[in-house]
Amino acid sequence: MTELDKKTGLYIHFPFCVRKCNYCAFLSFSADEGVRREYAGALMREIELAGRSFSGQISTIYLGGGTPSVMDVSLLSLIIKKVRQCFDVAPDAEITNEANPGTLGIKDRVVRAKLTAYKYMGINRLSMGVQSMDNDRLHMLGRIHTAENVVRDFDIARELGFDNINLDLIFSVPGESTEDALDDAKKIIALGPEHISCYSLQLEEGTPFYEMAERGEITEVADEEDRGTYHRICGLLRSSGYEHYEISNFAREGRRSRHNSLYWNMDDYIGLGLGASGFTRGVRYRNTSDLSTYLAYYGGQDADGAEWTTERPLDEIHENTDFDNISEAVFTGLRRTEGITYEEALAAYGMSPQKDAAEQFWKIFRDAEDEAKRFADQGLLIIDDAGLRLTEEGIDISNSIMSLFV
Amino acid sequence: MSYLDNIRNFSIIAHIDHGKSTLADRLIEKTGLVEARDMKEQYLDNMDIERERGITIKLQTTRLEYKGKDGKEYILNLIDTPGHVDFNYEVSRSLAACDGAVLVVDATQGVEAQTLGNVYLALDEDLEILPVLNKMDLDSARPDDARAEIEDIIGLDASEAPEISAKTGMGIDEMLEKLVEVIPPPKGDPEGRLKALIFDSYYDSYKGVIIYTRIFDGRVKRGDVIRMMNTGKQYEVTEVGYCIPRTLPADELKAGEVGYICGSIKQVADARVGDTITLASAPADAPLKGYKKAQSMVYCGIFPAEGEKYENVKDALEKLQVNDAAFNFEPENSAALGYGFRCGFLGLLHMDVITERLAREFDLDVITTLPSVVYKVVMKDGTVLDIQNPSNLPNPVDIAHIEEPIVKADIMTPNEYVGSIMALCQNRRGNMIHMEYLTKTRVQLHYEMPLNEVIYDFFDALKSRTRGYASLDYEFLRYQPAKLVKLDILLNRELIDALSTIVPEEEAMAKGRGICEKLKDIIPRHQFEVPIQAAIGQKIIARETVRAYRKDVLAKCYGGDVSRKKKLLEKQKAGKKRMRQFGTVTVPQEAFTEVLKLDDGR
Repeated sequence: MTELDKKTGLYIHFPFCVRKCNYCAFLSFSADEGVRREYAGALMREIELAGRSFSGQISTIYLGGGTPSVMDVSLLSLIIKKVRQCFDVAPDAEITNEANPGTLGIKDRVVRAKLTAYKYMGINRLSMGVQSMDNDRLHMLGRIHTAENVVRDFDIARELGFDNINLDLIFSVPGESTEDALDDAKKIIALGPEHISCYSLQLEEGTPFYEMAERGEITEVADEEDRGTYHRICGLLRSSGYEHYEISNFAREGRRSRHNSLYWNMDDYIGLGLGASGFTRGVRYRNTSDLSTYLAYYGGQDADGAEWTTERPLDEIHENTDFDNISEAVFTGLRRTEGITYEEALAAYGMSPQKDAAEQFWKIFRDAEDEAKRFADQGLLIIDDAGLRLTEEGIDISNSIMSLFV
Repeated sequence: MSYLDNIRNFSIIAHIDHGKSTLADRLIEKTGLVEARDMKEQYLDNMDIERERGITIKLQTTRLEYKGKDGKEYILNLIDTPGHVDFNYEVSRSLAACDGAVLVVDATQGVEAQTLGNVYLALDEDLEILPVLNKMDLDSARPDDARAEIEDIIGLDASEAPEISAKTGMGIDEMLEKLVEVIPPPKGDPEGRLKALIFDSYYDSYKGVIIYTRIFDGRVKRGDVIRMMNTGKQYEVTEVGYCIPRTLPADELKAGEVGYICGSIKQVADARVGDTITLASAPADAPLKGYKKAQSMVYCGIFPAEGEKYENVKDALEKLQVNDAAFNFEPENSAALGYGFRCGFLGLLHMDVITERLAREFDLDVITTLPSVVYKVVMKDGTVLDIQNPSNLPNPVDIAHIEEPIVKADIMTPNEYVGSIMALCQNRRGNMIHMEYLTKTRVQLHYEMPLNEVIYDFFDALKSRTRGYASLDYEFLRYQPAKLVKLDILLNRELIDALSTIVPEEEAMAKGRGICEKLKDIIPRHQFEVPIQAAIGQKIIARETVRAYRKDVLAKCYGGDVSRKKKLLEKQKAGKKRMRQFGTVTVPQEAFTEVLKLDDGR
């Protein structure tokens, strides 16, 4: 397959937030308008350079953060314009913006104006970080919005014709029972979004929650309860017409996130902006996470006439081996409920389709076969003629299964 | 005047941490054989493990040159001694090579049990002892108390003991003057028949075994054929010389001198510490006294971990043995752990050192099983079996009785800790012989205890109960009958032979419970419940359950997470490699050694 007919995504990172949430380990901070403007300038320069070294078509664009909706509409529109100038964006491209309730505006009028602008820019999918529909829990999470904001913003988006909306939900917040979580899920389902992402809260090092747990101020929800909640939510969403297509993702028919699916299909994606990751031509890389380095490079002379090469400021760059490719294909593929086929895995390994794919696959993972079969015997993994997939119980301990293949 | 008058052969005796190595560094620096810039911190302790633990295991001997105030040029041979009870015999042979010893006492701490043990060894060798008060640069130094302790406890006149600081160099010149005055020159007849004591040896890949020796009578040079009087082995000498501390070839070594001999010897076991070297052409009448073959007191199994090759472990053990005559091993087969080796050590520290070297120097992944002592099992038919592997214990119905090794343990402590030490010893089946007040505040407790109780974590428990102040010295006393049973551990109803132990019958219940609790903490949760059971024969005496775990999943995996997640999974896989699979149960390797480190607070 050549770059020309490959699906390639574009991820653009906006590291700004109004405030940092208590559970958040992402790269984000608050910044004033001057910094945002400077960032937009540097980003546009990076877009230019990246565009020059890429000849294929862009099938999806994802504006993530941080909180892209904190970004000034004027700047955001320039950035998207720049993307269209520098890249061949497919006419039917999925263009998602993370729009967090509470950041779109306080007055209805402002929210309406902002969302209208997004629509005009060509943004056709919204992902809203709802997290909970309980105001106390939202407060505890450190979110700036209320459940009322969510309903209002969602309704306005609908009115304006956004017909592809994702709502994020977090469960197993310290102190939250399974019933509480189901209550949240029901309220979100009642809004009727096309897509729901449902995340079990993870206490990540370096977050306020982690520190609080260390000090014993909050208690992590017990594994059993967390998993119980997860399975109940999966059931509820399925019976409400959402397909469970990835560990934490659910969608109405035809409404899977095309962009996020790239990550689990070993497709290419270009990462732009501070700390953004990309995977192109078999190379995984991550941009510098240091704002001043980023601004100095893309905002200064260095980038003049430069190519978008490995000279640019990167924190990480790794050229995948064939084995890296197959093992990533397997563990990201196993995140999908349909699992991974032997053929897909072997393709990542650089092998053309063949009839004894299963045999070839297990030849590569000879060390893993016995244990994989043990997981299969326990009903956690399904191994058939076509490939492998996790059962819903298998998801609970998916890391142990995936670690067989790295 | 003889050349002998200008030689002094001495050791430094000190308790761990009392500054022996620092003093040695200072002496080397002062007497100029090693340029200061070449000095590594603590020159004599050159093995990583020694450096980390602040103890000396392998000896370093060095020749110093000192110009006395009387204008004479002295050769000072500093013979190092290992600093741990496991190496008592080695200490005694090093001391036998000396004519005197410098006793370093930490002026902030006073005399300790190990110091005393080594002083007694020195007195047994009839050495002159020069007491020295160290750490005098510290405000907490109590020189008068320390002096009084030396006089009261050891019976040495300490009134003229030099006050030094090995750290700052204070008082070192005075100490050297005193040293040549107090310590006598060696005696010996260079024209007599060769008698040379091996006090250390190590294997060098170019020269073969390098023997460290003190010549008592006669002389030896390149080309001579030497004979080891105890083992009877003969070698042609390829090189002799002095230790500065690196080897410096010389024409010959003669009576009174300290140096090294090489003779293409393939392993240190052929040049055993304590053996006497003589000339094959004109042998001495009798060897020097005191030769003893190293006796293993503690045994454990060493098995290749999952993914490690048996041959690699075997090669490494062979290499270690070449350099360590006190270490021995033989093949062993365990149902749980597969093919491995049963290894014998002088003591627990010796065992730790060997297993750490396997990991560090040979980069091997091994599982070590619970250490065990050697039991004498008297069968009903009158035969006596030596059992050092609990799994080999015969069927109880055929056993008349079992005997276990008892040691004499001397514990020295500030008096305020006597109560808690007595409780600890009682817990460890100790039998107090007597207790004496060495000074108003220092007490020595004499116990008889099963070695089995000492080898686990007795020393750690002792230290933690006395805030590090107590010190321990022990030696083998005798075998004694005891009521002992084999305690088995079952995981998921499968017997794990490598976890079997021999324990006193009346403690079996408590030990079984303790082991089960400990294993419950060590064994990771599986996707199913794992029962842990302790059993004597068919009878289950304790049980714990590792609850099934339910969550090992990453909620998010988007563009930036793939690399991070991959590293995480790789780490998880590597962690698993350090585990051992028993049927469906995965056990981390440390389970095999950690399991008996039970706190006495139980």
